[in-house]
Amino acid sequence: MNYLAALFFVVGIFFAVTGHIGLLRAPDFFTRLQASSTCSTTSVLSILVASMIISGLSPFTGRVAAITLFFAISSPVSTHIIARYAWEEGIVPWRRLK
Amino acid sequence: MTSSFKWTLTRIVLTSLYLFAGWMLFTGSTNLQTMATGAAFSLLIALTTFKLFIDDDEAARRTLIPRLHWLVVYLFLLVYKVYLSSFQTALAVLRNDYNPRVVHFRTRLNSDIARSVVAGSITLTPGTITLELTDDHLVVHWLQSTTTHSRFAGNIIKGSMEAILKKVWI
Repeated sequence: MNYLAALFFVVGIFFAVTGHIGLLRAPDFFTRLQASSTCSTTSVLSILVASMIISGLSPFTGRVAAITLFFAISSPVSTHIIARYAWEEGIVPWRRLK
Repeated sequence: MTSSFKWTLTRIVLTSLYLFAGWMLFTGSTNLQTMATGAAFSLLIALTTFKLFIDDDEAARRTLIPRLHWLVVYLFLLVYKVYLSSFQTALAVLRNDYNPRVVHFRTRLNSDIARSVVAGSITLTPGTITLELTDDHLVVHWLQSTTTHSRFAGNIIKGSMEAILKKVWI
């Protein structure tokens, strides 16, 4: 069981690092936002899943599940607010040249 | 008792039930005094916020009470899709190879809550961000786009999620 949790922690760290690399290297605002939202979503989700696996069947797991649910609601809302502001401001998304 | 008064009463009761469920989840005790405090504050908060929590014109029963077994199926599907597309996005980030496009499509969901859940799920899934949601029209920024055709893009991005959400809410 602990090995499964460790696997999820490693996946979480991998996505956090990848997200930050994307944040530094991506060409424009929207792609940077995509990279950073990947980082936040998947890495935090993996770490929460890993902590649920470690704690096993207990009331603590239920609380972590509730935190996961609140995170799943609040994280896209904050990303959407940033993206929507940029879209309304008229920032033109970058496109790959053919 | 007029119908609008009944509807107001239903909204207050439903809001306080949702709040009380949250209270029970976080305190986790069946002590009578704790539960009474929770119930009293749930009712107090419900009295002030029920207009925001449940809109005046959302009178269909299934927009208020989701079908829970389909909601559980939906959550598992969402986690699966998040992991699947985050590996694709991670590959794109590591290769520094993007093909972003802004695509427009419509959703067939009717209730406000189902529409906002589908918009939130699209944003939660790595590689897609909802830029705007007006009525049933979604504007989505797509990191690794394969098409700009409205219907095909909609099918790829929201296809299976929308089919299950239609069973959870209307």
